[in-house]
Amino acid sequence: MIVVRQKPLDEICAMIAGHRSVLLVGCNTCAAVSLAGGETEVDTLLQLLRLTNKRHGMFIELSPAVLQRQCEPEYIECLQEGAYDAVLSLGCGAGVALLASTVGKPVYPALDTLFIGSAKGLARWQAECSACGQCVLGMTAGICPITRCAKGILNGPCGGVSDGTCELGDRPCAWVEIYERLDSLGCAKKFDTILAPKDNTTRQICEWDMSEGCDEK
Amino acid sequence: MAITHTNRSNQDDTRDGRLFAPCRARCPIHVDVPGYLAAIAEGRFMDALEIILARNPLPSVCGRVCLRPCEDGCRRCLLDEPVAIAALKRAAADTGVYPAPRLARRIPGRIAIVGGGPAGLTAAHDLAALGLSVSIYEDKPRLGGMLRYGIPNYRLPDYALDRDIEYVLSHGIEAHTGVRIGRDITIEELSAQYDAVLVTVGLQDSRALPIPGADKPRVLKALPFLEACANGESMDLGARVVVIGGGNVAMDVARAARRHHAKEVRVVCLESRDTMPAAAHEIHDAEMEGITVHCSWGPREITGENMVEGLRAVRCERVFDLERRFAPVFDEETVNEFAADTIIFAIGQGPDIDELGLPVTFRNSIMVDPVDLKTSVAGVYAAGDIINGPTKIIDAIASGHRAAASIFRDLTGHGDTLESLDQESAVLGRVPDTMAAKVETRRRIQMERLEHWDAILNFDEVELGYTEFEASREAQRCLSCTAGARLAVEKCASCLTCTRVCPHGAACLNMGGYLYFEVEACHACGACVSQCPAQAINLETVSEEDLSRRVQRKLADRGMDTSLVFSCGHVPDTLIEAGVDFRAVQVSCLLRVSERSVFEALEEGASRIVFTRCTEGDCRFPHAQDLVNKRIRHIRKMLSEAEMSEAFLVTTAPDEHFTTEVDTP
Repeated sequence: MIVVRQKPLDEICAMIAGHRSVLLVGCNTCAAVSLAGGETEVDTLLQLLRLTNKRHGMFIELSPAVLQRQCEPEYIECLQEGAYDAVLSLGCGAGVALLASTVGKPVYPALDTLFIGSAKGLARWQAECSACGQCVLGMTAGICPITRCAKGILNGPCGGVSDGTCELGDRPCAWVEIYERLDSLGCAKKFDTILAPKDNTTRQICEWDMSEGCDEK
Repeated sequence: MAITHTNRSNQDDTRDGRLFAPCRARCPIHVDVPGYLAAIAEGRFMDALEIILARNPLPSVCGRVCLRPCEDGCRRCLLDEPVAIAALKRAAADTGVYPAPRLARRIPGRIAIVGGGPAGLTAAHDLAALGLSVSIYEDKPRLGGMLRYGIPNYRLPDYALDRDIEYVLSHGIEAHTGVRIGRDITIEELSAQYDAVLVTVGLQDSRALPIPGADKPRVLKALPFLEACANGESMDLGARVVVIGGGNVAMDVARAARRHHAKEVRVVCLESRDTMPAAAHEIHDAEMEGITVHCSWGPREITGENMVEGLRAVRCERVFDLERRFAPVFDEETVNEFAADTIIFAIGQGPDIDELGLPVTFRNSIMVDPVDLKTSVAGVYAAGDIINGPTKIIDAIASGHRAAASIFRDLTGHGDTLESLDQESAVLGRVPDTMAAKVETRRRIQMERLEHWDAILNFDEVELGYTEFEASREAQRCLSCTAGARLAVEKCASCLTCTRVCPHGAACLNMGGYLYFEVEACHACGACVSQCPAQAINLETVSEEDLSRRVQRKLADRGMDTSLVFSCGHVPDTLIEAGVDFRAVQVSCLLRVSERSVFEALEEGASRIVFTRCTEGDCRFPHAQDLVNKRIRHIRKMLSEAEMSEAFLVTTAPDEHFTTEVDTP
């Protein structure tokens, strides 16, 4: 799932300032599951913006909408034509982008897209994948070094590790974790394999068509 | 109604009102008990009263003297004590203001109701509300029947009864009192004047035993005695009174005799202590007032020359035979004589219907079709105790509803909503162990009452009722059975947040990965509702829209710009003492107040929002504390981004001063 979080309020206010009528659009898939873009968050942000605008003597008409998924054209079609002159998207980057290419009006992101992640209990998520296009998880016991290692190195750990902690100090060393899990699975030998440099052109994939193949730039 | 116990989680059942909480299922008229308790828990007494009145037109009466089958079913029975449902109904009736009657468009049809007791009043209320013209004929000078003339004022004072009767009559019902049917006007004459006649005369004949001496002066019967008490007549009963009988009426008679300055009141009954028909609390109250109960004695003779000197009784060894038929067996050797100046028979009531001229059963009650309550005379119906024998008030009310529905159907050809009373429904099963382990045990709040030695001095009401605060607190003990979380599957984003926050494991995943709620395990704390990003979960009894309306009403109350207090429970006195001008909205848990509600209230003119929190030991939903903390942090963060930090304050009740903000961990 794509994990998102709401931008600071002043950033959002600055984006929509100058518009007369703004439609807030939530996304009932990843953004809702991230507790940042569901109907509840749309309503909450809408009320907060009304309150802030009123305090600053501004009047922007705000209305709410929630799409099942902002990254599907068919769902966007459900969006009713309205008198709004801008859209504030509470979806991930993909949702903002598709909305922007569809609605013919300025579209602004209310959220920052963080990572592809998994749930770690109530309202906590773990970054798990950076969509690099060349998965190495089979060699790393399911722990992504591109995502979880601060340097994103393919053969670790680096010299910065101390007591299993990354030199940044805010996370465990991904490579130490990889070794420990491989060891617990009885596959510690995999650790000896030197991973070849990745083909970074896969990061540049711009479009993917199952039947035609990809257009790699 | 067929009731089956269930462990079902199928929500459609509850949404149709077909899965009932046990309290609601056991009530003969299925009043929405969890619904009105939820309203009282939030201090919404008017709403509670309206919910009750939707099914029960006599809440003030039932709140005081109903034998409350609902409380026996309360799922809290197994945890600590049942919720004081009847007392809370009384609180709603005493505190709330009776609404203006909702009347349907007038339709042709005139109904005469003979008898102004609970069954007659209920049927009159229903039929008048449906647009028919209703007249009540009552023998006695005032309406109420046994409620007025059979139940002493210390249990059901006139003012309490009159509130209900006024409400019923406000539906445009004519009352003709002092008219005895059969003597002043006959059933045939009524039938000629009205489209339907409903007979709800009750059981007016007080039974006595044909024992030697029973014709002496100062040998009284229960109903005339109680009626004299109700009329405020003063009586000289002498110092020693013996009451014969073991039911609730006997207790009423004994306690009434005590209030007529009888020094020594004895209740002598055939049954053993365990099998006495009187409710345990009635016996207890009687004994506390100095009345002695002598069980297993069969009256044989009232002794004395001209005046009563005593009651001679023999030991009763058994009251019923093996087939539960009344067949007392006596030991004639064991004799006891109870000295008495007055003896009062309270051994049951019977019908007094010879003058009516209607066909009767072998039990001398009016013969009716048990389904539509029609007698064999066209256009004449009967309901209440006169067809069912002595039953509870609430049974008479149910019977009145049924008769009204039947009359309405016959006159108009329309089936009516009243019939939904008879629909089949399932009953929620017991509290699962996992939930029982996490629900706070909390004893029932005891109602203030007159001390026993003061109570016997006069006929003043003994039970003084709950204060609003006590009522809210008591209502918060309700487990909100069947009134908990509802999932709108089409909105669900499958984020599983509800499964992570529910302390009782009520939010479950089925094999296909779809969510559902286990109705039995939910006690409507609202944790899932507060966290659901898709607004796919609702509570049956409260909604954000309702809260929004309440906030708007509060803010519209007066012109001055003031603080809006959201309070779980009650607003601390310190607020009032501090002279703060505030408007309070009581919620059953602060989790009900979303970020959105706070911002909306501020936008609509509240100068600031105050959360008054319960303290840990006080909290109804301890597991919700963390979530409330999280919400408070979130609101603070968002308001600080909007540079409005000063508009939000959190304080605890009642020991913290209003101006001291509480740190949220």
